[in-house]
Amino acid sequence: MIIEASLPESGRLRSAARPARRAPLRLRIAPLAPGLKRLLLSWPFPLAILALWALAAHYEWIAPQVLPAPGVVAHTFADLARSGELFDNLKISLLRVLAGFAAGCAGGLVLGVAMGLSPVFKDYVYPLFRAVSQVPVLGWLPLLMLLLGIDETLKVVLIAKAALVPIAMNTYKGLENVPAQYVEVAKVFGLTRRQLLWKVVFPAALAPIWNGIRYGLTHAWLALVVVELLASSEGLGFMIVYGRQLFQLDLVLAAVVMVGIVGYLMDKGLALIETRLLRWRRVGF
Amino acid sequence: MNALASFTLGLPARLPKALRGWVLPLLLLLLWWAAIRFSWTDSKLLVSVGQVWDRAVEQTTSGALREGLQASLWRDLVGFAIGACVGLLFGAALGFSRLLENMVGPTFHTVKQISLFAWVPLISVWFGLGDSAKVAFLSLAAFFPVALNTFEGIRSVPREFIEVAQVFNLNRRQWLTKVVLPAASPSIFTGLHLGLIYAWLATLGAEYLLVAGKGIGNTMIDGRENFWMDLVVFGMIVVGAVGFTLNWIAGVVETRLLAWRGRAVAQY
Amino acid sequence: MPQAATLALKGLSKQYTVKDQSLAVLQNIDLTVNPGEFVSIVGSSGCGKSTLLRLIIGLELEHEGEILLDGTPITGTSLERGIVFQEHRLLPWLTVEQNVGLGLINAPITEAQKRRAVQEHIELVGLVGFEKALPYQLSGGMAQRVSIARALVNKPEILLLDEPFGALDALTRAHLQQELHRIWRREGITMILVTHDVEEAVFLGDKVVVMEPRPGRIRRIVPVDLPHPRDRAAYRFASVKEDVLREFGGEAPEDRLVAEEVQFPRDVRLSPNISFAL
Repeated sequence: MIIEASLPESGRLRSAARPARRAPLRLRIAPLAPGLKRLLLSWPFPLAILALWALAAHYEWIAPQVLPAPGVVAHTFADLARSGELFDNLKISLLRVLAGFAAGCAGGLVLGVAMGLSPVFKDYVYPLFRAVSQVPVLGWLPLLMLLLGIDETLKVVLIAKAALVPIAMNTYKGLENVPAQYVEVAKVFGLTRRQLLWKVVFPAALAPIWNGIRYGLTHAWLALVVVELLASSEGLGFMIVYGRQLFQLDLVLAAVVMVGIVGYLMDKGLALIETRLLRWRRVGF
Repeated sequence: MNALASFTLGLPARLPKALRGWVLPLLLLLLWWAAIRFSWTDSKLLVSVGQVWDRAVEQTTSGALREGLQASLWRDLVGFAIGACVGLLFGAALGFSRLLENMVGPTFHTVKQISLFAWVPLISVWFGLGDSAKVAFLSLAAFFPVALNTFEGIRSVPREFIEVAQVFNLNRRQWLTKVVLPAASPSIFTGLHLGLIYAWLATLGAEYLLVAGKGIGNTMIDGRENFWMDLVVFGMIVVGAVGFTLNWIAGVVETRLLAWRGRAVAQY
Repeated sequence: MPQAATLALKGLSKQYTVKDQSLAVLQNIDLTVNPGEFVSIVGSSGCGKSTLLRLIIGLELEHEGEILLDGTPITGTSLERGIVFQEHRLLPWLTVEQNVGLGLINAPITEAQKRRAVQEHIELVGLVGFEKALPYQLSGGMAQRVSIARALVNKPEILLLDEPFGALDALTRAHLQQELHRIWRREGITMILVTHDVEEAVFLGDKVVVMEPRPGRIRRIVPVDLPHPRDRAAYRFASVKEDVLREFGGEAPEDRLVAEEVQFPRDVRLSPNISFAL
């Protein structure tokens, strides 16, 4: 939305100021109708799939061990939720992600800021950082399993690594790409170094840094599921493996749905914060 | 250029730039060496550089490396090819049709939130433990980023370009090949690049989780189970090298094909 | 009203080194700008006029010759010299009033005084009602007004303007020229305006410095002895303009292939460098 001042740009622009205030209002009302339309259009497809699934299960086109009926899955989900099993495992998974992500986020920000602000530090650290990040989390897994065993430390370290790399990289790139023009503005107005950082540099780099944090959280969640699938006796990932071993696909699907819900909520939460944080930008993602 | 070049954090700036990057790796190597030389630990997990080297030679000459790599890479590429093709078509369909986007988009965006590896146990039930399951999983891994970026690329073609096409009365095919696809290509390439990365990651994951057959991931899992640290370290190096190579190839292709952008993507 | 200073450039030369080859950008510039004077500098692209401003503001420090402000050499940026860049360079995450307030960020006055000064200057450039607007909501002309207010708010002795209206349409430009003239008359600040628009230079300047390129040097200084407000249609105005234009005779404007633009970093996509982050 661009507020056009009426032409010619006269000394007093009070009249032009009014649309500026009215514009957000219009924005709030306008999308209602398309939103409703979108809502109506978006349901038939998943419902059709669900119906097909239910039919397939009902007429046993597919063996129930291979694809249990949606009703069964929902029932299992409800059972798991009622018994608390689902939420106990969810809690364990979330705590792991939280610990790993917090560590990775802190480390990534520190590393990224240091590399972004100091070319000398970057020269020393960046090549090693690049080399380490070339090996994916799953490449590190066997090594870390040997070194750390398969208990909590392994999970936290692995998740932290998964989060650290994108956060550090985006922070570094974001800071490095802060336009020199803005730094010059700060110089002209005699900003101190602290003001330069907090008023100019960090806001300018906020979008890429935030993007890194989003990727970091996504990766952390991905790493959690893998490590729980491979080496865990609790958590959502474990529920999936356990169900698979017992050939209880309803259990597997219920846990997968939960994994999806958490991933969805995390992404939406971050997107919400982002619109707040980066309100000054013309376009969202 | 870094506009903030004045921060040094008190690090020695006298060392020539080209040498600075070697300081940390050399220190780590020295530490590794010292740990063995002065026997800080008697854990058999602490292997020497020599042992890793011997293992590398043994793996290479015995053909085990070739066999494993071949199996992994073959699956990786087949899976990527399938996933990328489907992803391109799906993303394009969603990009061109608002109706389709409204109908299928929300489901797609919801399903993509399911952590990739959570699919593996399901796929193993549906496709077994063999190559078909792995390829199916790799396709899925490549599908999501390709589909998403293709969709976004087409959706974010600037209106100005579309208007240019209208002004010059381009027909549907010209409109597609001269305007829309080129304008969307950077995003599509990002998607393909990401798909390649995800597929390689998924290759490893599939080999860890669906333990049957050969592959570089199986080699590493073997190493872990037998406490052969040298094999694990060697496997990591190979995995890193393959990743680096795939990445490099993608970067080169991208830079060549998108030279009109005036800026190498690889820099960002 | 600030006690304006005299700016003196003596034998000012500047060269860049590109691939071990030195390239003279400015050669032997001698110029005196008196307190309260309005000096326009015109010249085609590549005559070093922007570099000249960057030297005076103190963003470029290496040069030969002297840049003296009341006899004291310039050693860096200072609040007594303000600048309006060609691109407005407003910080996109700050509102109009916050952007203007940037000019007072370290001023030794109270918050209330700062607020009042900011408000006064927003009024000065005619943007009352837009205090809380964000830069992307402004048109080009409005953004450039904010940029002028930001440069003036700390009462500099000298205001440098680097093709401030270059990117604006003709109507807006003519209007802002009048505004700038009004502000200059009211505030009594020394102003140095770099432009490639001869009419703009003559309309605003007490004198017009004509520069020529490769290396950049002063070709002629044309005094403009016309009373204010100036009438662009008047015969004497046209003859001064002709006089300046004649200095460009035979010199074809230079085409430049690569335009420099401010690229604000958008989101850095997950891309090659972040590869294998997983």
